[in-house]
This record gives sequence, C-alpha cells and structure tokens, in this order.
Amino acid sequence: MTYDPSPFGGKLRTVPYAGAVFGADYPVGLGGLGGSPDGPLNEVHVFWIAGMSCDGCSIAATGATNPSVEDLLLGRVPNLPKVILHHPVLNPGAGTELTRPMKKAVEGNLGAPYVVVLEGSVPDDQAFPTELGYFSAMGAGGFDPDSETDQPNRVTDWLWKLAPGAAAYVAIGTCATWGGIPAAAGNITGSMSLTDFLGKDYRSALGVPVVNVPGCSPVGDNFTETVAAVLLFLQNLAPLPKFDELGRPAWLFEETVHRHCPKAGYYEEGVFAEQEGDNECLVEIGCWGPVVQCNIVERGAINGMGGCMVAGGACIGCTMPGFPDKYSPFYKAPPGSFISGGLTKINGGAIRRLRRMSMKSGNREALWDSVGEVPSGWADDKGKPSAFDKTNAFFYKKLQYRGSVHQGKRNKKQPLPASRDILRQKGIDHNQGTDVLGDRVRTR
Amino acid sequence: MSATRAADDVREMDFDPVTRVAGALSFQASVDVGGGRVLDASALATLFRGYEVILEGRDPRDAIFVSSRACGVSGGGHATASALACEMAFGIQPPPMGIVARNLMAALECLYDHPTSLFTRIGPDYSEPVVRETNPELWERALQTAAPGRGTHGFELIADIMTALTRFSGKLYTEALHRGRRAREAYVLIGGKYPHPQTLAPGGISSTIDTQDMNVMLMRVTEFFDYSKKVVAVWDDVVDFFLEAEPRFREVGAGPASFIDLGQWDDPYAYDGTFETATAWAQRRWSTPGAIVDGRLRTTDVQQVNMGVEEFVDHSFYESWTSQAPRLRSDPAGNPLSAYHPSNKETIPQPGQTDPARKYSWCTAPRWDRQPMETGAPARLWMTALARKLPHRSFMEPTGSGLRLAVPQAWLPTAELEWRAPRHWGALERNRAHAYALAQATLVAYENLVLGLDLMRRGGPDAGVFTHYKIPKGVSHGTGLWGGTRGYTSHHMTLESQVIESYQILGPSTFTMSPRDGQGNPGPCEAAVVATPLLSTANPERCIDVLRAIRSFNPSMSCATH
Ligand code: SF4
Ligand code: SF4
Repeated sequence: MTYDPSPFGGKLRTVPYAGAVFGADYPVGLGGLGGSPDGPLNEVHVFWIAGMSCDGCSIAATGATNPSVEDLLLGRVPNLPKVILHHPVLNPGAGTELTRPMKKAVEGNLGAPYVVVLEGSVPDDQAFPTELGYFSAMGAGGFDPDSETDQPNRVTDWLWKLAPGAAAYVAIGTCATWGGIPAAAGNITGSMSLTDFLGKDYRSALGVPVVNVPGCSPVGDNFTETVAAVLLFLQNLAPLPKFDELGRPAWLFEETVHRHCPKAGYYEEGVFAEQEGDNECLVEIGCWGPVVQCNIVERGAINGMGGCMVAGGACIGCTMPGFPDKYSPFYKAPPGSFISGGLTKINGGAIRRLRRMSMKSGNREALWDSVGEVPSGWADDKGKPSAFDKTNAFFYKKLQYRGSVHQGKRNKKQPLPASRDILRQKGIDHNQGTDVLGDRVRTR
Repeated sequence: MSATRAADDVREMDFDPVTRVAGALSFQASVDVGGGRVLDASALATLFRGYEVILEGRDPRDAIFVSSRACGVSGGGHATASALACEMAFGIQPPPMGIVARNLMAALECLYDHPTSLFTRIGPDYSEPVVRETNPELWERALQTAAPGRGTHGFELIADIMTALTRFSGKLYTEALHRGRRAREAYVLIGGKYPHPQTLAPGGISSTIDTQDMNVMLMRVTEFFDYSKKVVAVWDDVVDFFLEAEPRFREVGAGPASFIDLGQWDDPYAYDGTFETATAWAQRRWSTPGAIVDGRLRTTDVQQVNMGVEEFVDHSFYESWTSQAPRLRSDPAGNPLSAYHPSNKETIPQPGQTDPARKYSWCTAPRWDRQPMETGAPARLWMTALARKLPHRSFMEPTGSGLRLAVPQAWLPTAELEWRAPRHWGALERNRAHAYALAQATLVAYENLVLGLDLMRRGGPDAGVFTHYKIPKGVSHGTGLWGGTRGYTSHHMTLESQVIESYQILGPSTFTMSPRDGQGNPGPCEAAVVATPLLSTANPERCIDVLRAIRSFNPSMSCATH
C-alpha cells in the first residue's frame, strides 16, 4: 500500500526502526492524525469496543500491573501519552456521552489520534439488512447526522467505519483475534475474527495491520505491555515491537507454554499425573502445552502469580487460532502425547533414576561422607553409601572433576571440627529434653 | 444518552449503552423531566452469541470450559454450575477437599467482584464530581456532616468519602482495583487464571494445593477482614447520609423485595451430586437457596426453586419452542416441569427490529411462580437471613430478619456487623447489602481455608480433590444449581450417546434485566427504573437516579444473554 502524507502537510517523520516491517523509508509518525507533528504525542484516544464478548478481556485487563490500566489512564508512565479511554464498563457518562467521540472519529473530526481495541468476535450481521436486526449492538440513532432512527447501532458498523482512521487496531482475546468460541463449530451467528472481518489488506492509518493479543481470557499484562510498547514506539522512544506472522507480540507468544512450564521437568523424567489433582506433568489428563504458544506460566496470570499449569490446570490451547475445536475434547490426552510421552517414559525413566543417585549424594555434607553418619533428628539415616553407590560415585567424580580440581579428595583431607556434637561432649542427655511446656500441653 | 423531545415535558431517552455495567445493556425510557418521573422503561440486552447452541453436539467434557466463556464476570460461577451438571449426569461427587477448593474459588471471586462493583461501577455515581453536578445542596451538606464510621474507614466527613469515590483518582476507587487484584492473586493459585479458571473438572478440581498455596490464600483473605469492615462502614455512611438528607432516595430503584437464589458454597460432607437429595444438601450451603416474594419467605427447597422457573420470549428475539413436546415432564424427583422450564427450552434466535411494543431484547424473561425476581449478592443475604437454615455458625448467625457477621481482628478490632433486612427496598439498600455480602464472603473464605487446612492435616481420601468418572452411554440429565458470585446460575444439560443433546444456561442478570413477559409484567430493573423519582436539583436531564437504579442491580449482560 502506498502512503500519502500530503493531507498531513507532508510533515511525517520516519522512524528508523520501522524498516523491518514497512520498508526503510516508510513514513510512520504522528503528524496529521490530530497530534502535534512537531512534538511527541500528548494524548491518544482509545475506543474499547465489545463485540461478541463475555467481558472477560476487560476484566483481565484490569488485572494488569505492568503497567496497570490506571497507570496508562492517569499518564503515570513517563513519556507515554495519556490514554483517554472510552470504555463501556469504565466510562463516567452513559449513552451519547460515550458514543459522541466515537462518532466524531468516524466523521474524521475527533482532532486527535485514536486506537481501537476490540474485545469479542465479529458476528456476520452485515450479511442482512439493518431492518432485520443485529447480533451485537452499541449506541443508537444511526450514523447519519440527520438519521431519525432509534434502532441500536450494530457493532459491526462501528468496526468498519472506525477502521480507516484508526492509528492502530488491536484485537484483545481469542474471540477478537481468531473468532474463539462464538465462532466454534455449530455457531449460528457466523462469527469470525477481526482479521477475517477487515481482510488481509487492512492497514491502519499508520500502516499497521491488526495487532493480535490472544488468550481466553488473556493475561492482562500481555495487553497493557503491548499497548505501552506500541506507544513508546510512536513516541520515537523504542523500536517497533516485534510481531509474528499472525500479528502476535512475538516476545510474548513465540515460545510454547510447555518450555516454561513448572511441570516440564516431570515430562522430561517421564512422570505423568494419573488423575486431576496429581502433581506431575498433566499431558495425560489433557494438556496441549507442548504445541501451544502462550506465556502464562512464565508471566503468571495476575501480578506474577498463578498460571494454568502452575495451579494444576491442563492447557486447552486457549491462545491459539484453532481454539476450541482443535483441542477438543478437553480432559482427554492429545494423541501426539502417546508417542512423545511414551518415549519420555522410557528414557526419562532412566534419567530420573540416575538423577536420584546424584541427589542422594548431593543431600550429604562432605563431612557426613567422612564420618559415615547423618546427624539429623528427622530421620534415621545411616549415610553409609553402598558398594554400588561408591563405585558410581567414583566414576561420576572422575568425570566431574576431570580437567579441574578434585574437591572430593581435598574434602577427605579436611580435619573434623572439634566441637561437632557439642551436647554429647558436654554430657547433656538431649533425649530426655526439658520440661518447658510442663502440663500445659498434653500429647495427643 | 440522547434525548428527543416528544410531548411538552416528556422526553424519549436512550441510555445506550448504559455504561459502568458489565456488558451490552441499553435502556429506552420515557421521562417526564419537569415532573421528575419516569413513565416507561425498556431494558435492551444488545448481544447474542448462541452459547447454548454451540454447546449442543459437543463432548460433555467440553461443557465446563466452553460454558465458562459465556460470562467473563462470573466465569467461575458458570464453570462450577457446569461441573455440578456434569456430576449429576455422570453420577459422581467430588471428595471433600475438592468441594472446599471450589468453595474457596467461589468466595475469592466475590472478594474480587464485590469491591469492583461497589467502587468502579456503582461508587462513582455517589462521588464528589457527580454529586456536585447533580445535587450541589447535598455536597454542601456532606461538607458539614461528620462520618459516623470514621473510626473504621478513616474519612472524617461524608464529603471526604464522596471525594474518595471519584472515578480513577479517588482513594476508594483505586483501592478497590488493588484489592480486586489481591483477591485474584489468591484465586489463580488454585484456579490458574481469571476470569476463566482452568482447574474445574467434573468430579472435583485439578488444582494441586499445597501449604504454600494455603498460606498465601490465608494472607490474602485476612487482608479482607479489615477491608470488608471498611467497605461496610463506607456504605453504611453513604446510604444513611442520602436517606437522611432526602427520604425520597428510598424510592430510587425501589422494588418489591422478591428474590430467588440457589445458594452457594457446598457443605463438603453433604453435597452428593444427585437431584433427589438436593433439597437436603443445598440447604446445608453457606448461603441458603430459596425464594422470597414481597419480603416473605416462600421456600428454601432448591427443587421447588428449580421447578418454579419458566422462561418467556414474548418480547425477546427468539421464537417460541413450546409447540414441540417437552423434553422433560418432570424432574428426577418427580416434580412436574413446565414446558417453559429451562430444561425444556430450545434456543431459536430471531433477530429483528427493536420495538418495545413487540420484541426488543436478546434477554429472555425468566419468572418464578410467574413473578419477576431479583438475584445477586443482596438476594444471598436476604435468603440466608430469613431462612435461618445456615448450619455453619462459627462466624455468622441469621436472625430471621437479618444476618450477624463476626469479622475477626486484624489491624482493626473484631467487628460484630449486622445486616438488617430494610423495610424499603431500593438502589441504596441494594448497595448496602452488597457491602455486607463482601463481609459474608470473606468469612466463608476464611472458614473454608480452615476446613481445608484441617483436611490436609488429616489426610486420607477426604483430602483428595477428584473422583473418576465414566460418561454414561444412554440418556442422562444434569442440573447444575449454583448461587454464583452474582447470584442464581443454573445449567441444564441432557446427554445422549455421550454427546450433549441440549444445554441451557440461566444466569442471574437474565432475571433482573429481563424484558416484559407474556402478561406484560416488566422485568425487575424495568420496574425499578419506572419507580425512580428524578431527584437531581441541578441537572435532572442527566437522569443520574435512573442510572443509580440500574447500576444497583449490578447486571452482567453477557451472562444474561449468552
Ligand atoms: S503440564 Fe503440559 S505444558 Fe506442562 S510439562 Fe506437562 S505437557 Fe508440558
Ligand atoms: S496455558 Fe493453555 S489454557 Fe492456559 S492460558 Fe495458556 S493457552 Fe490458555
């Protein structure tokens, strides 16, 4: 697409980092969109529109902390423009107080740049005439200033009318990014994603295709962080954040969730949960994590805490374009896991046994190896390695210290501390104990 | 809103959208601005996604995670109702620890949702900028009025509270955002994520709960001891101030005190997943199921509650389904079921022109015993208080006309709170009840944490969280009856050959935000709006009292329409 800066006085600045996406001399900037062409952007309007949504994305966004929604709205992050949010769940006024600025944006005289955020999928109600109703509506009274209608305005009308002038279009959540459950098999609304609705050639006024932040519900921080990163870029303060071939923030979605899963170690050692509530890898109770791009276990769900597998929940692929049908039925092991899981059971089982041996040794102070005793009151552990352990340790240490210093040998020469086992040396019979609690405490 | 002049004084107002409610809601109203009256009001739910139809033809193991997405405000409530429906259909029940864990999640959901509703949706309508604009004389009075609860909440004057309620910048507003995150931090430890938890399963839960989880949850919940005392003190002060300054505020959002609820938080040793015994186990819930009509207790039997529910679509964008023979003529206990009962319903959408005289909403009109009913956190208090069935009385005591709540000491001393069923029911009292419901949920969370720790201490099968199941091959039915954070949540499922043949969802806001029924009776919120006087002295056109009335119902529209 060619970009014509003439309506904006030809004053657009180029952003050096943008070349990776739009070509080196692509004029990306703010001028003419209502902001000041000479200085950084002071404020940006955000129209948050809910289509076929459950409002869960809004709820998730208010859980964000890096930055929080109120950080963005109150302009608390240095150098970020103040975000003027028009959000149905947060707005002060009702009705036209919310929709008036949106109408101005549609008419092209908002006087400031705006970003549109869509939560929820897009129904196919453009397929029938307005008189036949809608599946999702917001605001009433039509778009024509002379319109006399009192019928609700279809969300789909807002979406296409706001598209050309938007500085950026962000789809939040799996419904908006890929259609999600409202677009699943058997749906009767013809729902689709924003990208499907606007089409392959859509570019915002700044030349950006739809930005997709998936998740059902998404991680709040994934959304606010993306917004902050894009705004910093618009301010010429940061590189254009990296997006992948589907418009996902690449730094958030390029890894599989399995790679950072707290249970990945179980998988590697070939131990699997047999039922819900077990601690091990969840693949056999239906986890699709090895083939799902999501960062929730790394980032946490809220403020660094939680995350599906962290809490014991199996991944159902809710960030993926194929959700839900390509991961159904839930709570059933994915077919691929029979091969990969089966193989890890064999080699993981062997590796696990070797590791337990190393751990047995690692759980001993060098001192205990010397005296052949573990002085723990918690368990009766002799600490004497078996002949098998000894042979093993011999070869293991040979390998470990090869080309370096053999700390094991040095430890053997270490003198024993003289005050070891001090109570016995002082003649205190610690088996008897002292009657600290008296008869205030009765043993059960 | 937009206004067009119709008659001399009467204007057609369009509150589209009604903001600061969850989801797509719009109100059309005829308002006599000069006379300060609302003549007529219609509630428009402006969204339809067809979750019930999408669920048909699926594996029942998909039901929990798909139906949860019907509503992002109470996803956990829907997931739980769905798990209960699966358990009934599969003939299983979770072990006690699995039930306790679900109770914890349900209570933590309230600890997130109640403050969020009270301070980010409802609160700004009572904040300094709004009161100064609409009723400057009240602001002057607030500047002269000491706040009785200052020892608890720390605000000297009522005016200070109003300032703190201001959107985004007010202390109470931002604190609610913060507290809501703290509650959700605890939630995701065992739920994985929020608002759609990833750990609910038929037969229990898949959470791995250890001492660390219990410790962190305990710390988060004890924060709410003081916070809930504070929230109650704030709303007691705000509500009493408005009612004393202008007694007509009691008419704002007035309603007949008719409530329906299914109760939530199961007794881990009572719930057994069967319909036939539901009357007994549901009465052992931490909040009692039942129906109240005009302030009088009608039943506490969850089977009767279920049996009395009917859904009408005379003014909704659906076609009637009753020409077909009903799927179920009676419930598993033998109670007769109407053809309009949700388990007999079919979802047949028919989008069309919006016309309040004919069809105007994607919300159906559920009624109980053919009466419009209110749902929500206030209903939970009313039911529990009037029924006096509550079996768990370590911290709570229903009196027949109220509910006593003993909130333990934290930084603030122990508080004995008592919510009393008010004589006049309206928007302000709804908000007050909502605040007390936060204290109620805090105590339920704490009691279940203690119970959970005890189960962990004792170990054995009771400390398990999950029961194996087989999906039955023939025809089976499951009804998930659950109180949910925002109230009444029922899922009605029929399985055939291991596939969902029919799935119906009824949410709390379907009741409150319903359009008129076939008899022409308005929905509870429509009626409350019509009952509302416009009390703004400086800016009646803004209709702030209408918005206060609507928001006091705390609707969640995605839940209502699904
Ligand atoms: S639980 Fe899932 S994501 Fe985690 S290791 Fe197992 S398969 Fe991978
Ligand atoms: S781990 Fe899976 S189920 Fe959980 S949020 Fe990520 S994609 Fe969704």
